[in-house]
Amino acid sequence: MIKEVHMPKLSPKSDQYFFGKWDKQPGDSVKTGDVLFEVETEKAISQVESQEDGTLKAQKVATGDTTKVGDLVATIEVA
Amino acid sequence: MTTNHQTSAPTKAPAKAPAKPSWLKVTYDQKKVDKMTDLLKGLKLNTVCAEANCPNLGECFGSGSASFIILGPNCTRACRFCDIPHGHPKDVDLLEPLRVAQATKKLGLTHVVVTSVDRDDLPDLGADQFVRTIHAIKKLNPKTTIEVLTPDFQGREDCLDKVIAAGPDVFNHNMETVRRVTPLVRNRATYDTSLHVLDYVKKHAPKNMYVKTGIMLGLGEKDEEVYQLMDDLRAIDVDFLTIGQYVQPGPKNYTLREWVPMSRYQEYYKQAMKRGFKFVASSPLVRSSYKAKEELEAVENK
Repeated sequence: MIKEVHMPKLSPKSDQYFFGKWDKQPGDSVKTGDVLFEVETEKAISQVESQEDGTLKAQKVATGDTTKVGDLVATIEVA
Repeated sequence: MTTNHQTSAPTKAPAKAPAKPSWLKVTYDQKKVDKMTDLLKGLKLNTVCAEANCPNLGECFGSGSASFIILGPNCTRACRFCDIPHGHPKDVDLLEPLRVAQATKKLGLTHVVVTSVDRDDLPDLGADQFVRTIHAIKKLNPKTTIEVLTPDFQGREDCLDKVIAAGPDVFNHNMETVRRVTPLVRNRATYDTSLHVLDYVKKHAPKNMYVKTGIMLGLGEKDEEVYQLMDDLRAIDVDFLTIGQYVQPGPKNYTLREWVPMSRYQEYYKQAMKRGFKFVASSPLVRSSYKAKEELEAVENK
């Protein structure tokens, strides 16, 4: 089954962030709690953790992209 | 005073914002943060964590800890470093103290931090709401220790007397920065008024009530100015000092002068401990209420 990963709300004050970098590449196995990617908000660099166990299937955004809360960021193949 | 390093703090604003250092990396577990946010929303409570967009929010909310901000969300002052909305203040919510007490109980907090926005519009400047909140917390959570982080109350001693009498365990009021930088970043607050607040509280509070203050780095302060501040604080016997990095909330706020290197936090820690503070927290992500519980425990168990 494919699960979609959407941009979480990382800052109480804004809904638009700079996408930092990927910590997992397509094909990598991911576990719940693994850092998937980093996002730059006004006051921090947030490391977003996976909420699923599975394999990272596709990255939908790239470093430097501006992303909004709710945007599709990645897909994970869950067994 | 001699130190091993040269002060390089630029006092002028840099043309371009320097890149965020790696220590600003924080983890974020959305499920845990959402759970906390829902609970706080349900009780119609504000936290300084969310209002000031704190970088530690993920960690603190994730571990079930939060610092409540009462009398908000709007502040009557517009300090240039601060992210809390400046605007027309709302009516005092007399049920807010009870909700803070209920949230404290629901979260099972053994130490709770209560701060407020500035309320220069109120005849009591907000002191009575602190008193009501302390009383409510004590009633519902008799074992929980209470830390207040108050405004300067314009230096009014009647306000300070009321809050002292309510009996918090820790009385915190932030100096925010060194004397020279104060008028550049604070609004209607002065270095001397804040020193007076701390001095008055220390002189009039019972011996077992700790007096605490905090400052931000990266505003262009110099070593000797920080050491002067430490001396000023020790001259009035302030117990705890927190030192953390200023992170500019947005383009309209006071421009960040520098990301202060870790070596300077370590030097300040040493210098502060040498001067006799009971507890010093000095690290980039330290905030006034960050790990306040651990701080109090460390001192009490000595």
